[in-house]
Amino acid sequence: MIWIETIVNGILVGGLYGLLGVGLALIVGVMRVVNVSHGEFMVLSAFMGVSLAGTMPWLHPAALLVPILVIFFGLGYALQAVLINRIITRPDPFAAILLTFGLAVVMRNLMLEGFGADPRTLTAGTLAQASVPILGLAIGVLPLLVLGVSVVLFVALQLVLTRTRLGRIVRATADNRDVARLMGVNPAHVYNIVMGLSLALASVAGLLLAIRSSFTAYTGVERLLIAFEVVVLGGLGSFWGAMLGGILLGVVQLVGLKFDPNAGPLYAHLLFFVGVLLRPNGLFGARA
Amino acid sequence: MSRARGWFALSSLVVVTAAAPWVVGEGVQRLVSECLLMLAMAEMWNLLAGYAGLVSMGQQVFVGLGAYCLFFSSMAMNVAPYWVLPLAPAVCGLVAAVIALFLFRLREAYFAIGMWVFSEIVSLVVSKSEWLGGERGMGLRTARLVDPHWLEPVTFWMSAAVASGAVIGTYLLMRSRIGLALMAVRDNDLAATSIGVDVWRNRFIAFVISAAGCGLAGAISFNATLYVAPGFAFDPNWVVAMMFIVLMGGIGTLEGPILGTIIYFALREVVTDVLNLPASWYLVALGAVAMAAMLFAPAGLWPMVRDRFRIDWLSVRRWPPVSAREVPPAESQVSAST
Repeated sequence: MIWIETIVNGILVGGLYGLLGVGLALIVGVMRVVNVSHGEFMVLSAFMGVSLAGTMPWLHPAALLVPILVIFFGLGYALQAVLINRIITRPDPFAAILLTFGLAVVMRNLMLEGFGADPRTLTAGTLAQASVPILGLAIGVLPLLVLGVSVVLFVALQLVLTRTRLGRIVRATADNRDVARLMGVNPAHVYNIVMGLSLALASVAGLLLAIRSSFTAYTGVERLLIAFEVVVLGGLGSFWGAMLGGILLGVVQLVGLKFDPNAGPLYAHLLFFVGVLLRPNGLFGARA
Repeated sequence: MSRARGWFALSSLVVVTAAAPWVVGEGVQRLVSECLLMLAMAEMWNLLAGYAGLVSMGQQVFVGLGAYCLFFSSMAMNVAPYWVLPLAPAVCGLVAAVIALFLFRLREAYFAIGMWVFSEIVSLVVSKSEWLGGERGMGLRTARLVDPHWLEPVTFWMSAAVASGAVIGTYLLMRSRIGLALMAVRDNDLAATSIGVDVWRNRFIAFVISAAGCGLAGAISFNATLYVAPGFAFDPNWVVAMMFIVLMGGIGTLEGPILGTIIYFALREVVTDVLNLPASWYLVALGAVAMAAMLFAPAGLWPMVRDRFRIDWLSVRRWPPVSAREVPPAESQVSAST
């Protein structure tokens, strides 16, 4: 029974990992850009959540999701418009990596100065302890809600990309930016929106992850590594792959911790390593 | 640079390095040793990313392995650490040769992240191994076999040797057939393969050399502190510093990392020592400089300096035979540029 519970918890955590990777998969798929500061934005949203919850104790942290999502969409839009669009047309793959890497170092250390080095958590009140019995298993209400939010955002993103005019424009730009431009699309503007969406997803994942586990200004690197693993394991740019990759990593991590309590993310890393060696293009990517 | 001037410069550098410990204090020696070891690691990362086209985000695994190899073998055999120093690059080269068999199946971003994850796995396994001191790490018990007065000067000399070995070794390697093949693959792997260049073999050689160099520099670095722990040895900041130095200075040039190392440490000394700010502000400045470099000098700073002052010390550029130079100069520059 304890094993089934661990696996279910792993799926719930993994949904969050998937969400965290989908934001990165989106920009890799559309712009072929890797944003190394993805993890720092997750930590920033967590710090903002803690500060806002501190100044407005009567407000439930769940109510912060929407304003933070909007703020981070704006931050992403601005980041792309002000910085990344300047270098995106260069053939050099290092340009975006070094630019966002510099940004990550700046953000990490400013957060360290601004918020201190102590570990923080976002408290979710009585919701954190509540659990519901489902088929004889005690499933936490909070992880269930978190998975619910992940799935809703994931489906929403999928619908936006496949069913709307914006989605069609985004896909067209991803396929061929020059032809899209001939059809009257402004690729720079499309990229701004995509980066906004990516950071909005990252901010939700960062906030929800902060309820589950404590974080410091240095946590961004760990978050980024998880996001990378999710994206690569799923196949670069594949959304469904990212979601399934996240769930797989979450399950293996929690089951590994049950076997070996001080292993940390060791087994998730091993799974990633073996998975990528067996399928060099990711589990759901095209075969080489 | 003419051959005679080159030998003169080299021999005066050797004399200055040999005499330095009697002239400058221990603090300066320690700082310069740190710079030189970082330079060696940066050149090794540059060899991979700038010439072989392999971007690794996990070179810190070799820094840590080199250090652990030195500590473990020195204490197991109960000999002074200097005697087992050659084991560090040997073991790192061997590990690199083995994992290359698997990791070379991965391309570009996959390889970079695969290396990072490999490094994390090794770090976590070492943290769990009590016989290696676990998470707390271990002190170098054989340090009593070393004369403490000579630790600083010997570290300085070893660092100088490793750094110049990295620069000169990469220079000679790039002038050789292997170097030409590596650059051909980096610039156009399809064309290089079609004229018979063995991509896998040349990349393998560069990867093993780079791992051995990082391992040696890591072993010397931790030998000087007499203490090693997984958190420091396998710190991703090692590769972050290598990347920063190479990309700032100029990737794919030998002089670039030298310039990058100077900027990296000058920035640190100015912010923490002159302005007396905490280390986090130095990192803020570092990140800001990296961003500015990418926006305004995307090829790094050395190419700008080189073109502005027309200096070309350690160029590995090859010129076409005379008959081929008959074409207009602009075009021949492009076709021959490395």
